[in-house]
Amino acid sequence: MTHIIKTEWLKIKNYPAFWWVFGITALTYPGVNYLFLYVYRDITKQKSTAGQVLKALMGNPFSLPEGWRTMAFFSSFFIYIPAIVVIMLITNEYTYRTNRQNIIDGWSRKDFMTAKMIDVLLLAAIVTLLFTVVVLFIGLTNMENGAAGKWNLTYYIGLFFLQTFSQLSIAFTVGMLLRKAFIALAIFTFYSVIVEPIAVNVLHYKYNNEIGKFFPMEISDRLLTKPLFLGRIDEAAYQQSIDAVKYHVVYSICLLILTWAFCFWLNNRRDL
Amino acid sequence: MNEKTTIHNPVLSLNNIIKSYGPVQALKGVSFEVPEGSVFGILGPNGSGKTTLLSIILDVLKANKGNFLWFGHPGSSEQRQKIGSLLETPNFYHYLSAINNLKITQSISGRGTIEDIDEVLKKVRLYERRKSRFSSFSLGMKQRLAIAATLLGDPKVLVFDEPTNGLDPVGIAEIRQLIIELRNSGHTIIMASHLLDEVEKVCTHAAILRTGELLITGRVDEILVDDDVVELSASDLDALAAVLKQLNEHVVIDSQLNTVQAIFPKGTAKLDEINSFCFKQGVVLNHLILKKKRLEARFFELTNN
Repeated sequence: MTHIIKTEWLKIKNYPAFWWVFGITALTYPGVNYLFLYVYRDITKQKSTAGQVLKALMGNPFSLPEGWRTMAFFSSFFIYIPAIVVIMLITNEYTYRTNRQNIIDGWSRKDFMTAKMIDVLLLAAIVTLLFTVVVLFIGLTNMENGAAGKWNLTYYIGLFFLQTFSQLSIAFTVGMLLRKAFIALAIFTFYSVIVEPIAVNVLHYKYNNEIGKFFPMEISDRLLTKPLFLGRIDEAAYQQSIDAVKYHVVYSICLLILTWAFCFWLNNRRDL
Repeated sequence: MNEKTTIHNPVLSLNNIIKSYGPVQALKGVSFEVPEGSVFGILGPNGSGKTTLLSIILDVLKANKGNFLWFGHPGSSEQRQKIGSLLETPNFYHYLSAINNLKITQSISGRGTIEDIDEVLKKVRLYERRKSRFSSFSLGMKQRLAIAATLLGDPKVLVFDEPTNGLDPVGIAEIRQLIIELRNSGHTIIMASHLLDEVEKVCTHAAILRTGELLITGRVDEILVDDDVVELSASDLDALAAVLKQLNEHVVIDSQLNTVQAIFPKGTAKLDEINSFCFKQGVVLNHLILKKKRLEARFFELTNN
């Protein structure tokens, strides 16, 4: 295992494009959350009645513990940024035909896929760490009503990790199937940002069909519920979505297992 | 013709390998053995299945049927780690330098040490460019880097697919010399090539493929010696040819080389008897040798090209 991690490190440590995209990823999470924080501050500092009503309605979604949920939700919109890194890491192997060279040099096909799975796992862990640091920093500097219960929602770290790992694994699968970075990224983004949300909502609102919750991205999207202030619009539905999280944890784990089982099977079966 | 000889402790044994790409059968039940310490050439025209065969023994392609054994055991990643292999094109990370690419080869295969990387780069004359990116290399340099990767850790078995691809004449001569040195130091080399001259110069054994079929395999000198070709010369070539025609119908005068060639069935040419016969007929020979048929001629004969 150590030599697999060491080899993957040798592949990326002198790869400028990787570090550029990684840098962008690292800037995205604090950037996005600060952006929403400033929008919130801008709205709530208004002395007008509307501003004050909004402030009363929203509370402070960036204060802990609610900050864990709010920032997990906003951060999850930008999964396609680390997805670029994941797609790059797998499609490069096909572009340079180094996937076959790794096998020729003495890796088993299982070693190769294990290496790639570790890459995705580590990237998900790094993104989660970044998320945790951002929440702690923004949350602790925006505390209201004292420190009581500020660690109550820390399980969102686990949920955020599970969602990130699950969705990056889907990005990896798309890269593995299509083998071309640009096409894979375009299809992943188009599917996750446009196709699936439209399909889920059309099924829900037009046909009253809940099958959409089992779509590949939606399964883990439902791990991170909306911030509390948005949930107040329909409190019953919001409570339902919170109650459903535990089921989506199981669904997401099942999907993760299926995704990687498929990737290992495909890599083992096809000619290189 | 599908000749197969059994070899004790072969490095590689292929048993009835079949591979299809859709309706196209790329390998049609190929079997042969590679003896230890040999330089084994796999020959064939384009599309004959040479690279497919090497890809199967290196686990890049899956055979539809048949099996192969490395050192008497089914192929595995542990065995591939001990084999230096160059398959088709040099495959490296374009954004990494030569030295960083070889660090990856070293890390995966476990062959050699970081210090050995400098040595192999010197051997293929890339040491000065060791810090240059692979993407900045010419085709010949890329090929030399791939050969350097195979040499890491001095593996006892090497697999080369068209090792002189993209090399200039000096590079070709160097690689040929390197292969001869490796052969002389006891390495086993399996080499696919369509350069017959190259194979004839360095290989001890060969297998010839045509459209996925094994036509012949064995020692190169056995493959070449199909007929006995006797080359003779005398002051009067016409008189010599006339005398030889009494012994054999297949007599050709080569006026450019100033020789006569007489072709006898395999194993029947007796040089002392020919010399004596010519002398009795009043023709004094000044040149008499038993020649091997050139591999090129044999290859065209076998592949019907």
